[in-house]
Amino acid sequence: MRLDEAVEFAENPEPRCPCVLLLDVSTSMSGEKINALNEGLRLFEADLNQDELAKKRVEIAILTFDTRVKVVQEFVTADQFAAPKLKGNGTTSMGEAINQALDLIQIRKQVYKENGVEYYRPWVFMITDGAPTDNVEEGMRRIKFEEEKKRVAFFAVGVQGADMNKLAEIVVRTPLKLKGLSFKELFQWLSASIQGVSHSQVGEQVPLKPPTGWAEV
Amino acid sequence: MTKCWRAIAASVTGSSHEKSGQPCQDAHNYRLLPNGVLVAAVADGAGSAPLAAIGAQIAVKTAVETISNLHPLPENESNLRLLLLDVLAFARDSVEAVAKTDNVPLKDLASTLIVVVATPENVQAAQVGDGAAVVRSGDGSIIPITTPVTGEYANETIFLTSPHALSLAQVNVWYGTPAQLAVFSDGLQRLALKIPEGIPHKPFFSPLFKFVAEAEDDTVALAQLHDFLKSPRVTSRTDDDLTLLLATSF
Repeated sequence: MRLDEAVEFAENPEPRCPCVLLLDVSTSMSGEKINALNEGLRLFEADLNQDELAKKRVEIAILTFDTRVKVVQEFVTADQFAAPKLKGNGTTSMGEAINQALDLIQIRKQVYKENGVEYYRPWVFMITDGAPTDNVEEGMRRIKFEEEKKRVAFFAVGVQGADMNKLAEIVVRTPLKLKGLSFKELFQWLSASIQGVSHSQVGEQVPLKPPTGWAEV
Repeated sequence: MTKCWRAIAASVTGSSHEKSGQPCQDAHNYRLLPNGVLVAAVADGAGSAPLAAIGAQIAVKTAVETISNLHPLPENESNLRLLLLDVLAFARDSVEAVAKTDNVPLKDLASTLIVVVATPENVQAAQVGDGAAVVRSGDGSIIPITTPVTGEYANETIFLTSPHALSLAQVNVWYGTPAQLAVFSDGLQRLALKIPEGIPHKPFFSPLFKFVAEAEDDTVALAQLHDFLKSPRVTSRTDDDLTLLLATSF
């Protein structure tokens, strides 16, 4: 008997690895910076799709913030993800953006639970070149609470011009400063890191790769 | 006439561990005892624990030896349950003893543990963490004895070495006439069970149970089981270490 021909498998959905990109598209980001960010996003899309498991497991959502917060991309698996072309204009409503990102994750987890889909700890990856122009108090509180409860891993990256001290107050993890416009290297790293998580087995705490090549030390 | 058991079991390295050069961190052990009793154990070492393979080996060996030494087992259900909990505690103590002797943190030896005792009249199982034990009864129905215990996230579970592991353990006794039995680690979970309920997928188990029931030569059967776990159909669905123990009564 050829067992591999005789045995049928249960059809379970792949476990999901949700990742929210929270992107600053205020006026100061326009021009060179946003072009480099767009290029980075395209690379992110291509890179994730080279990994057979990751493209079915990693889910991406994109929220942009200027004067307003916009859901540019609802959660989709990487194989359905198409990098958007972002433009910069407006102020920096970071506080509202953080709240909406955390809400989005909460809703997504609920959808997973209702559909019996397993999931990994969600990531939020915030990129900004400024400081919040709105009230960020509630967002800060929520990040601290959610990190403490291990409900989310919230990362922040400052692009040239970002108020790194303010960022360090907002997020629990040490924010990283982008070296020049190395968005490509940043997204390559993000793709590799999240692929690592999406392949991780039970009990594995996946150590993040050092952010060599894109972060200032 | 007292029934007897025949068992085969294989643990294979997952493709992700092959890539990274890690050893197989799953382990299994079993023994046939007098009066038609089979005792079996499966453990899955934690991917993040450097000595998980050793921890898993100690856990299964201790569990099987402890039960063998306690044979014959009590018939009363509450005494059976207490005994199984003692076996888990004993396995944990053995792992702790090694951690102390080698002066390493206990969590470096983290693994799950499933212990199963099958007699002609019942199947008892105790489990910490994920993986599961499934039985086929004489009337053909396929019944889960244990179900995987996971945390909120897909890469989380409880280990024998975790704090409160024993208070979170499942201990179940199923009364009936077992025909076949399967014990497996979490690598096969998504293929074998309907998740998250943990209901056995019949088209997965039926051919495997038929296979072990009809197998004539253990060496040949073991090679077939090994080939199955290494077949592309399986490895394209899971890159984790895999353990599958199959037993049939005759």
